Amino acid sequence: MSQPSPQGATALALNIRGAVKHFGGARALSGASLAVRRGTVHGLVGQNGAGKSTLIKLLAGLHTLDEGVIEIEGQAQDTLTPHLAEELGIHFIHQDRLLVPTFTVGEALFLGREPRIAGTPFLDRRAMQRQAAAILDRYFGIRLPNSALIADLSTAEKQIVQITRALLHSPKILVFDEPTAALVRREADILFSLIRRLKEEGITIIYISHYLGEIEALCDTVTILRNGIDVATLAVRDTSAAAIASLMIERDIEEMFPKRTVAIGDPVLSVSRLSSPGKYHDISFTVRRGEVLGVTGLLGSGAKELLRTLFGLEPALSGEILAGGKAVRFKRPSDAVRDHLALVPEDRRGNGVALDLSVTENTTLAGLKRFTRLGFLDPARERAEVDGLIERLQVKTSGRDALLRALSGGNQQKVAIAKWLSRQSEIYLLDEPTVGVDVGSKVEIYKLIGELAERGAGVLVLSSDLAELVGITDRILVLFRGRVVKEFVSSDTSPDAVLAEATGSLEGRRHVG
Amino acid sequence: MPSTILYGGASRGRHLLDHLVRYALIAAIVTVFAAFSAAAPTFLAPANLQSILVNNFTLLAIVAIAMTFAVSAGGIDLSVGTAIDFASFTFVSLVLAGQPVPLAVLAGIASGALVGVFNAALIAGIGISPFLATLGTLFIGRSLQQLLTNGGNPVYLPPAGVPEAFRFIGHGTVFGIPFPLVVVFLVIVGSGVALSKTRFGRVVTAIGIQTSVARYSGVAVPAHIAVTYVLTGAVAAIAGLILTSTVTVYIPSSGNAFLLNAIGATFIGTTLSPLGRPNIPGTVLGVLLLSIVANGLLLTGLNFYWQQVGTGLLIFVVLSISFINQKAKRRA
Repeated sequence: MSQPSPQGATALALNIRGAVKHFGGARALSGASLAVRRGTVHGLVGQNGAGKSTLIKLLAGLHTLDEGVIEIEGQAQDTLTPHLAEELGIHFIHQDRLLVPTFTVGEALFLGREPRIAGTPFLDRRAMQRQAAAILDRYFGIRLPNSALIADLSTAEKQIVQITRALLHSPKILVFDEPTAALVRREADILFSLIRRLKEEGITIIYISHYLGEIEALCDTVTILRNGIDVATLAVRDTSAAAIASLMIERDIEEMFPKRTVAIGDPVLSVSRLSSPGKYHDISFTVRRGEVLGVTGLLGSGAKELLRTLFGLEPALSGEILAGGKAVRFKRPSDAVRDHLALVPEDRRGNGVALDLSVTENTTLAGLKRFTRLGFLDPARERAEVDGLIERLQVKTSGRDALLRALSGGNQQKVAIAKWLSRQSEIYLLDEPTVGVDVGSKVEIYKLIGELAERGAGVLVLSSDLAELVGITDRILVLFRGRVVKEFVSSDTSPDAVLAEATGSLEGRRHVG
Repeated sequence: MPSTILYGGASRGRHLLDHLVRYALIAAIVTVFAAFSAAAPTFLAPANLQSILVNNFTLLAIVAIAMTFAVSAGGIDLSVGTAIDFASFTFVSLVLAGQPVPLAVLAGIASGALVGVFNAALIAGIGISPFLATLGTLFIGRSLQQLLTNGGNPVYLPPAGVPEAFRFIGHGTVFGIPFPLVVVFLVIVGSGVALSKTRFGRVVTAIGIQTSVARYSGVAVPAHIAVTYVLTGAVAAIAGLILTSTVTVYIPSSGNAFLLNAIGATFIGTTLSPLGRPNIPGTVLGVLLLSIVANGLLLTGLNFYWQQVGTGLLIFVVLSISFINQKAKRRA
């Protein structure tokens, strides 16, 4: 199998061994290895935070290793830079990244390696157009003028530009990072046949995806990362999506989830046949008082957009929402807040809490009317409220006047939730409530979610941490490509089963094959 | 003035440098004051001190407070001069037409507020950036005034026929205190309370610090932003009325003279507060500092043109202090 190469005989295009990488105190990689045989399609999977992107950035020369070895074509590379990586023939196809929107196609394709008219400093535009057109025609069967502006291209066309740029430089290794996340099915199919063709031409492919169905259909080998280490490398024909999924998930944290029994009451949020073209379709569900409903789905599943619609951040085209028994159509978040909805957004520092406002100012912002008399603030009532919430939620802070900037991520998140307790909201939408939160605070946030339900609130948790979702919810809706594909009763399921649905293991086989 | 009014009562800085910054403005004022007392014998004369307050401080303070509202919500208003001019023009025109002075005063303030409404529509309604929207208003306002006055001719009030109530606004006294000083005091207290003690002020501050968080908290962001621009126009209009009454003439586009100093004072006050937020007491101290420097430099016989150099240097010093403080905080 192995072919002779100038560097010596090796079957491995890439061999990373024992990669260790720290960021500050956090360990992103703790001895990960990745061996990729030449001319194969090699899948790389793992949950968010497993270390996939760190590993890829090492390969791209964007990070340097703390410990370990990277060998490319049998040659150890200690000082990889983005430029050197490209020289060695490693190219990256990212989603939506690395393309400057104000560039033309020609500029994006040839940036840094522009052909010149022989003996002059002038760009050879004709050569550029000729070279680009040759590749575009050969691999994609399309024409894309070099003068077109990147900003005017569709996502799929941008991706074609990225791939074409790589192909112009005769690549040896192509890394696809979540390439189908924003593609429609037909575009994804074109991409898959392209990848197969590139493989036939002897190019080594590293394929990163959350869609295990794609891994099954496309890859020869798959490496599963978990907690910064490669837990397994398997031949795809000898395994299954379910087996891969179970390797991705952590299993010793079940005791993190406090058990509780809550009486389920009346419906507090009902959604029926809600649709937003291109985002989600025909979504129906009900959240009752005392109930915690989990929602999960990959990027592009429509789960995020659904949550945004529920809070008035983006419109739905059709369908109905009942909040507290009343038909509502929120045009903006203030409408949703008026009807007792609360959103704890994923982007905590951008939208959840203001780092330069104090604990007090953040906590009472949503329900400020309660602390106002005739337009004037009532500082005594505000103090009592905030001190009470700091105590109840065990927010670790030097005091209510401290700026949020001085709090840890977990404590900032508690303030983001306290804001809605102070508003006396009844329907809580929690978007990735424990992202970037330490384990101790995680457990406290889980307890808090349980308390919300006990007090009769309806809670909807959107999370990609499936162990968390199964642990703290009563039911779980799984969205895949804009539709609810499955509803689980949390006590009767496992993170593996949910993951298999969310990654479309079955669905993926159908549409790729 | 109690320190809770000074900085919104939100936080009590515990670091030594915070204290230095908190009192840096006062220290700067004292230093500049002492320097001019030594350099110019007439500086300390009661007549001169009153002149600082009446001639340098009053109008700029009102305009800078107006500016502080827009800046608090994260914006800026380059058209405060337009509001001043429109108020002044309306006021003079109605008084000339023999209308009662109280009516003319209200109409003047309303026309300043109207400039604010126009800005609010552009910024909160359409979503144009505050800088560009109010720059546009500034240009339009200047042209309109040229059109209204046959190419920029001043509108004089005949000295003999001026109503007593009109004269009082600029020249009257209440218990021996010049009436403009009474007005500026009321504007300072009213605005200070509005920004630091009311729900409106809290919400505007939150919008100014992180708009998206305010929006995600259910705050009606555009409505609050709109109100700040209307307030800015209305408060700036007050300065227009006092100006007109003092000089008994409306000079087209004269209000723009206050713009840069008002921005300077507002940002000096913002920068030298421990939390780095726009605040009324900070703005007022910033105005006081600029006023003393302007008056003092004049008295020392320095060329008029050097005054701008003095103001510029002052701003550099202020920024340096703040920068050093922030670096220290980051290290801590």
